[in-house]
Amino acid sequence: MTSTPLSDRELRAERWRLRIRGWSDFAGRFGRRRDGVIGVGVLVLFTMLALFPNLIVGPLQTATTAPGQPLQPPSLEFPLGTDDLGRSMLNLTVHGARISMVIGLLATVVTVLLGAVIGIVSGYLGGRTDTFLMRITDFFLVLPTFVLALILAPIILELVGSDAEIMGIPSTLVVIIVVIGVTSWASTARIIRSQALSVKERMFIARARVIGGGGGHIMWRHIMPNVLNLIVANTVLVFAGAILTETTLSFIGLGDPLLPSWGVILNSAQTSGAPGLGAWWFFVPPATCIVLVVLAFTLVGGALDDVLNPRMRARR
Amino acid sequence: MGSRYLARKIVQAILTIVFIVLLNFVLFRMMPGSPDRVLARNLPDAARAELRERWGLDQPLIPDQLVAYIGAIARGDLGSSYKFSNTPVTEVIGDRIWPTLILFGLGELIAIVVGLGLGAYSGWRRGGPVDYVGNGFSLILYSMPYFVIGMILLIVFATTLGWFPTSGMFSLGHRFDSPVEQIADFAWHLFLPLMTVAIGLIGQYSILMRSSIIDTLTEDYVTTAKAKGLTDGRVLRSHALPNARLPAVTLIAINLGYVIAGAITVEVVFGWPGIGTLTVTALNARDYPVLQGIFLLLSISVVIANLAADLIYGYLDPRVRT
Amino acid sequence: MRSTAGSRLARLAALALAVSALLVAGPPAPTRAADPLVLRVGTSQDLEALNPFNAYQYIGYEIFFLNYDLLVGFGNDLKPIPGFAESWSQSPDGKTWTFKIRPGMKWSDGTPATAEDAAWTFQMIIDAIKDGNSVGYGYLDPDVKNAAMVSATAADPETLVIELARPNDRPLTTTIPILPKHIWGDKTLDQINEFANDAPVVGTGPYQVVEWKTGQYARLARNPNYWGNRGAADEVIFQFFPDSADTMVQAFKAGELDYIRNPSALQFNELKKEPGTATISATSNGWTQLGFNTYQEEIPGGGASTTALRDPAFRDALGYAIDKQALVDKVLQGYGIVGTTQVPPWERRFHTDPADPRTFDIELAKQKLDAAGYVLDGSGNRLDKDGKPINLRLYFPNSSDDYPKLAAFVTDWFSQLGIPVKSQSFDSGALTDILLPPEAGDQYKADYDMFIWGWGGSPDPNALLEIFTTGAIGSTSDSQFSDPDYDAAFVTQNEAPTTADRKGYIDELQRIFYDKAPYHIFYYDNELHAYHTDTFANWQTQPTEDGTPFFVNGSLNYTLLTDAKATPSPTPVVTEAPSASAGGSAAPTAAPTQAPSPSPAPGGQPGDSTGTFLLIGGVAVLIVLVTVGILAWRTRGRRGGPGSGEEE
Repeated sequence: MTSTPLSDRELRAERWRLRIRGWSDFAGRFGRRRDGVIGVGVLVLFTMLALFPNLIVGPLQTATTAPGQPLQPPSLEFPLGTDDLGRSMLNLTVHGARISMVIGLLATVVTVLLGAVIGIVSGYLGGRTDTFLMRITDFFLVLPTFVLALILAPIILELVGSDAEIMGIPSTLVVIIVVIGVTSWASTARIIRSQALSVKERMFIARARVIGGGGGHIMWRHIMPNVLNLIVANTVLVFAGAILTETTLSFIGLGDPLLPSWGVILNSAQTSGAPGLGAWWFFVPPATCIVLVVLAFTLVGGALDDVLNPRMRARR
Repeated sequence: MGSRYLARKIVQAILTIVFIVLLNFVLFRMMPGSPDRVLARNLPDAARAELRERWGLDQPLIPDQLVAYIGAIARGDLGSSYKFSNTPVTEVIGDRIWPTLILFGLGELIAIVVGLGLGAYSGWRRGGPVDYVGNGFSLILYSMPYFVIGMILLIVFATTLGWFPTSGMFSLGHRFDSPVEQIADFAWHLFLPLMTVAIGLIGQYSILMRSSIIDTLTEDYVTTAKAKGLTDGRVLRSHALPNARLPAVTLIAINLGYVIAGAITVEVVFGWPGIGTLTVTALNARDYPVLQGIFLLLSISVVIANLAADLIYGYLDPRVRT
Repeated sequence: MRSTAGSRLARLAALALAVSALLVAGPPAPTRAADPLVLRVGTSQDLEALNPFNAYQYIGYEIFFLNYDLLVGFGNDLKPIPGFAESWSQSPDGKTWTFKIRPGMKWSDGTPATAEDAAWTFQMIIDAIKDGNSVGYGYLDPDVKNAAMVSATAADPETLVIELARPNDRPLTTTIPILPKHIWGDKTLDQINEFANDAPVVGTGPYQVVEWKTGQYARLARNPNYWGNRGAADEVIFQFFPDSADTMVQAFKAGELDYIRNPSALQFNELKKEPGTATISATSNGWTQLGFNTYQEEIPGGGASTTALRDPAFRDALGYAIDKQALVDKVLQGYGIVGTTQVPPWERRFHTDPADPRTFDIELAKQKLDAAGYVLDGSGNRLDKDGKPINLRLYFPNSSDDYPKLAAFVTDWFSQLGIPVKSQSFDSGALTDILLPPEAGDQYKADYDMFIWGWGGSPDPNALLEIFTTGAIGSTSDSQFSDPDYDAAFVTQNEAPTTADRKGYIDELQRIFYDKAPYHIFYYDNELHAYHTDTFANWQTQPTEDGTPFFVNGSLNYTLLTDAKATPSPTPVVTEAPSASAGGSAAPTAAPTQAPSPSPAPGGQPGDSTGTFLLIGGVAVLIVLVTVGILAWRTRGRRGGPGSGEEE
């Protein structure tokens, strides 16, 4: 913050210059974190699978279009074997990537949006609002996520409407997304709030300068950019958590059997007794994918956190 | 530690519990499917009416049901299970809480000891072979759902090698000659699920401990201590470890809240008769009183664990007293 | 405090080591000599109560059959055999039954068991029904109601007299356990309904429940006072696997169980190859169906999406587009019978196949739809008589893995007719609400078109027949089916004096059901049982030719078991009757069937190589993962000094 006043245009140009330098600076530093780069590579791979499953393995196979015999071990025809209906595990796993990643993504968006908005508002406004919002946040932090999810699932389905589609997403998936979002935003809110608090302190001068700027403006233009780094790093970790939660919820039978995410595939492997039958190919591919994706997110999240979080950098 | 700090924390905890109790009432009533029809689809009308009366569902929601509910909670009465007809919820849960406590208590203990130890050593010998392997493993374990770990252990050590039983808590129909033998039988059944829990938790603790150690090692006073010529072990023990304890305590408290998620899947895989399998049973049977009881029990224990963590935190780190 | 942290940690570590050492010391040397001979039975169901009036699953009935006696037992030919009563006779007018109770019989606690106990049991239910109440969940009431019992009295300690309002022979086939009056007798109906009946439970049956852990097991010990044949087992333990059928099969394979009910079809195929294991596939008293919303009026804000579903001709035509045999083969792996009427073939007395069953013929289905006035529009979508395109919603509960598979087939076939289907799964609780019509309450709207679910029956077909009566709408009906002829025939058959008289009316009910098609029954799922032959011998089945040993009517087969090690073991009988027309497994209750969830696949791989495959696969995956992890970490570590990689 300099005290020399700049013209509007100069200010904008300066901002862009800083932004570009910031980006290349960031790219350079991130590029040197090889764990992060490997993580990004894995994620790009899975994103491709999720974006173009039909190009890669053809349309999702169903009970009627299953090409093989049930539980065939891996072969040339079925590189990952077949499931209990004779569907190719390769086909299922790739399509599972799409479903799992979409659920993970949307749940993350819900979580981070909720968490960021509440965190910023709470941190910026302070006082009663802060106390109130943080009480709620703490309340959600102590609720047992998983049991709450189990109880919420039927309630949300009832509220959403059984055969409603929200933006083309069937309500069964909406339920899982909302359940994950509602039960995991609190820790994000906590983290963002504490950062927002410290930014606010630093922003006092700037705030004084923005005469007439309303609270919304200040939060959006000044606080938000300053906590964005934290939001990004947190988002990546939330994504990993969302995928794990989806898997666990689906494993105990809350998934949509018509939209086989990796968790749903693992559930049907368990219920059809695949582990006991030695049909390892029925659960090893989805399990491996889950571990790889979560691992990749964790690596990227860790790297991002180190690169983006100035506090930690300064400390080292 | 300031008694005002203590008092405030306790008041907050009590307030939270009150909210949880109210939320429990609301959630319960919002559940779709009227319990008398969910129990069994073809219950005769007379039986349904009698059940509604017995469960107090024929009363108006507010105030009658709310008053009855709060009165019952105050008496410690969580109502009766739907599925296990007329069995008090406290009894149903009471039967199943001990297996989970033992499983997760021991699992946490092992994970804390091994995980924190591994993390501390990895952090201390950063870049060494133990760090490479240990941290690689920790990261993978951290990314694995419990039930995947459980499935692998089950297939390898129970199904294929036959070293351990596949399910249950005791050998059924076996007459034990002595308590020692019975405990041994229990331990034998406990081993695989326990290992699953411990392995699933080790990753987190190890990663956390490693990074706090690394953070601490770069602090000035540690550098000073090293410069003073203190031995590595002494620096670790007297400076690095104590400071790295704080985040670990928090994580342990937070983990309690997530115990059930892990418990459900581990217990399902190993047929362990704890709260996790009970939750699934209650869920499948739409046994809402039992679900609500579990919800209440868990959230209150997390509140208490958090309170304890806060107090321990305040004790360990005098700076935290605000 | 700080200085001791390290040593504390060390002490903790030592404690942990000690604990794990104890754990590893683990497996106790089995001292089988001292052990009682235990029969361990595994089932995926979970006992819900020790009060027989409050149990509604097969497992409950199985346990109460062992714990108590029926007034008259069931032989393996399904004929009456002595139970609590030794002999019986019917009066010439058919309205009075006299039962001779065995003299000198005792309850398991030593109290004499007399006609008083039996009279109390029946009279209590008669009184409850008279007052418009039901006893417990009411599943045992129909036995008394359908037999039109008026009174049950003890003429003397050895004589029970049951008076009926109309002549019939149904007192011989009740499944009501005879309860000890000295324990239950002083209770009001409310108290009976809420009675926990805690273990040890007192009965006259061969084995008594002495221990029950919810979600785990029920342990039954031999009744020292039992009057009948002594089975070889000293104890019977039922172990419940409510969450994982796989765990149950693993336990069976590991020798921790002697008998299991309903593993998945895939697992069942594997078990057939196991040495020392007998497997039985028998027809069951239940089915899985495609149900329609046949509600005849508009329901504001709900109801079916098209009026076509009210038209039997429309539903009939759809039946030609369902390849039931393919479903049995692909979904059940062949372990089932193609479905027809609402009386399963298990009910050999009453089941009648339709004279002119529908065949699978998409073209014929199209012709029938055209003929009934449901024609295609320009875009190939079929229109209902209001000119609206027909788009059907198909719902199913998430309680079985088979339902989504069935939904996929139905969707595919119906779309070939120009009828798009959108399917969705629900939890059972939510679906129950959706299926209810306004008759059940103002909040219910029967907002569905089609659904997949199943029913299981009682020994008497009445419960299954009743679902399709007009009176069941708003109660047990989920198709909202209403037909005056059906209602009339239902009442008449129930009041007919003999089985032979009933059959004619029940045939009529089956004909109406099949023609008007409120349901298309996909199949009758088989009961799949397996048991080891090396501990116990002399396994009998009910019915003898194609039934199962356990989970049938009565407890006879438990009492016939012999010790396989004491006697030369007879060769195991491996029976298979997937297509048999009648069998006898299944116990009473008309609770929703959620139990059988056989998942398909004959595949599997030759036995022992699979374990190796699995190990190799698992290890390979682990190695890949570890490598990725180490690689990632290594590079990070190598770059960075204390500040790690990101330091500039």
